[in-house]
Amino acid sequence: MANSLRKPAVLDPMYYPVVALVIVLIACVELSDAVTAVDVYRLVQYDISGVPFGSRLSTLNHHAGSSLFASGSSSDLSRTVLILPVRELNLTLITEYIEQKKLLGGLLLLLPPKFSPENIDSTFGADKDIDSLRNKLVELEWLLTHSNIPYPVYFAFEDDNINAVLAEVRRNDASGQPATATTGGYKLVVAASDPKRIASPNIANIQGWLPGLKVDGDSNQLPTIAIVASYDTFGAAPALSVGSDSNGSGVVALLEIARLFSALYSNPKTRGRYNLLFGLTSGGPYNYNGTQKWLRSFDQRLRESIDYAICLNSVGSLGNQLHLHVSKPPENAYIQQIFQGFSAVAEELGLQVGLKHKKINISNSRVAWEHEQFSRLRVTAATLSELSTAPELLESTGGLADNRHFTNEASIIRSVKLVAESLARHIYSQEQKSISIFADDSSLAVNPSYIRSWLDLLSTTPRVAPFLSKNDPLIKALEKELADHTAEVNVQHETLDGTFAFYDSTSAKLHIYQVASVTFDLLLLLVLGSYLITLFTFLFITTRGLDDLISLFRRPPSSRKVKTA
Amino acid sequence: MTVFHFFNCAILTFGPHAVYYSATPLSEYDTLWTSIRAAVVYLVTALVKLVCLATFLNVSESDSFDPYQELLKALFGFIDVAGLYFALTQLTHRNISQNHKFQAVGLGWAFADSVLHRLAPLWVGARGLEFTWDHILQGLEANANLVFSISLAALGSLMWLRKNKPKTLIPIIYACAGIVATMPSITSYLRRGLGWHLPKVVGFELFSSLLIAFISWQLFVACQRPSN
Repeated sequence: MANSLRKPAVLDPMYYPVVALVIVLIACVELSDAVTAVDVYRLVQYDISGVPFGSRLSTLNHHAGSSLFASGSSSDLSRTVLILPVRELNLTLITEYIEQKKLLGGLLLLLPPKFSPENIDSTFGADKDIDSLRNKLVELEWLLTHSNIPYPVYFAFEDDNINAVLAEVRRNDASGQPATATTGGYKLVVAASDPKRIASPNIANIQGWLPGLKVDGDSNQLPTIAIVASYDTFGAAPALSVGSDSNGSGVVALLEIARLFSALYSNPKTRGRYNLLFGLTSGGPYNYNGTQKWLRSFDQRLRESIDYAICLNSVGSLGNQLHLHVSKPPENAYIQQIFQGFSAVAEELGLQVGLKHKKINISNSRVAWEHEQFSRLRVTAATLSELSTAPELLESTGGLADNRHFTNEASIIRSVKLVAESLARHIYSQEQKSISIFADDSSLAVNPSYIRSWLDLLSTTPRVAPFLSKNDPLIKALEKELADHTAEVNVQHETLDGTFAFYDSTSAKLHIYQVASVTFDLLLLLVLGSYLITLFTFLFITTRGLDDLISLFRRPPSSRKVKTA
Repeated sequence: MTVFHFFNCAILTFGPHAVYYSATPLSEYDTLWTSIRAAVVYLVTALVKLVCLATFLNVSESDSFDPYQELLKALFGFIDVAGLYFALTQLTHRNISQNHKFQAVGLGWAFADSVLHRLAPLWVGARGLEFTWDHILQGLEANANLVFSISLAALGSLMWLRKNKPKTLIPIIYACAGIVATMPSITSYLRRGLGWHLPKVVGFELFSSLLIAFISWQLFVACQRPSN
């Protein structure tokens, strides 16, 4: 019994929940006491066949700086986070800085609020600066996504809070007192875990099937026309890559075409003798990897039944020029037939359609256009795009500069009319007549509000494929929309080609703290110490007298004397 | 570095109490027990006050100054006075002189107030990365509060414990005690009614605390004279 009594209870188990609660409370309280918390979006981090690109780090805990040359060339910026507004950014300087692989604590790039995907309602007006700013952003994006940057790079949008911080940081820098641990200033903290490689990037292809009218007794399979658009994007900041034009416009056009033809095909009298296949493919920026996997999954008979495929890519920006990109020689009869169909309708719409031929190099893994994936499998295909030349890998894939403001509904409507009209004339063999099936006031008119709502949705939804989950709301929404217009919808889940690897943590919260320096605290300690000593002396003298105070210091020797005496 | 700052603020908030105890004859007469009991009385008083405030006061949605509510709050402020009365007269103190008794009670009172009202914000706020002057100002406020508490205890001991005081001084004593007891309402009025910022309010508190301390000291001295 004595034994059990003596047994030391370090902590009664009853108190464990209490202790845990206290710890949780303390942890909660410590998270949110910053002067400002800002949403930040990290620069994409990815590998192409093992070669690293983008920002390789995510955690940030350094003082703020405002200029690459804050205090002479001697200063070391490896413990400083530079806050640079893109508006005033000097591209050549930053290019040099990144190419020379100089170290930085981190980089925070401030984008103008107009480029925020959430800011789709505001109008730009006729602003000349916007165009140059947009070009600058495109260049910056290209630079950042094609360099290996060994420090965290974040994007944020300018707002009053962050501008105030920046102004103060600049003032400190100008006065020759850049923020370091000893002088105080602002500290930028992003508490993020280390970016992890996404194990198997998922890509989902959504396919809708609209069967044509089969005449009884006809054993032959009906020919198929495919309309395809890739819906995913790639950009410097995956959480901001909404790609309104590339390729949001293509997706919107495809959905509208599907809607129009579903109206036609719902009535047996107007159902055409062609099957229509609608494909929303993923993996577009990565050599149309999703398209390739989608086509491979077709069975031979279906693939051979495809008469031709029209791929829609970037059809939403202002301008009267569209290009039909093909891989087969332009003299090819099928190509000629498609092109003539398009140009006849284009003429009526006041558009110009040019034919552009680019040969496929089978040994080169680069696939610049979606139709090239079809052509590699010997299916006639063409891409309709406003781009006149083939983009490089990861170029024009819906990055930072591609948002709702630069995408025009009227252009999309025109493109929809062009494709739908020429398809309809082909399906109903009306090529020679200039009839208008989808006339503006008819029941089959293009619906501008439908186009606007889908364009707005896509312009606010980042769609970088590796960061979309299998059951992402966007994929579900696209699937449901196609299901409304077509008879049969399938979603095909595939894994992205292994040469591309992506890392997570695309967005985070940046906390900006105003910190005091160590020297300030040391000084404060000195002041407080002298205050307390003064207080002590004052109280001692007033209550006990000066002599007592003096004797306080003399007592030890005197008491010894008393003892010895 | 931030723990350092917390340490600094804690010194500013609680240091003067310790200094007061060790520098004055309080330490020689071992009045710690009295201070502790005063602190306990403070805790009970604070609890009672909290219950009263929670029962009778509306939670104001706006941060504006509502005279009626503030009047009620000021009335509840006199619960403090009642607690102090209890601590000074009802608690059986060991034979320490009245001089030391009120100091010990005031000290315990102020210390308990500081622990209750300032320790938690300090622990939470001053250790964070973010730097603000608030915690230093709060420390200064704690100093002013110490002076107020001791002054109020001195005035209380004059009111309730000293029998033969000059008749002319009695209204002054009561007026001063009234002012000190309503000091929280006055500062609240300055802050919300007049929109003063914290540094200004703290400055006012420090200044008025020194003034009150001086007056109560003079009163104490004046009351002591006839007995001698």
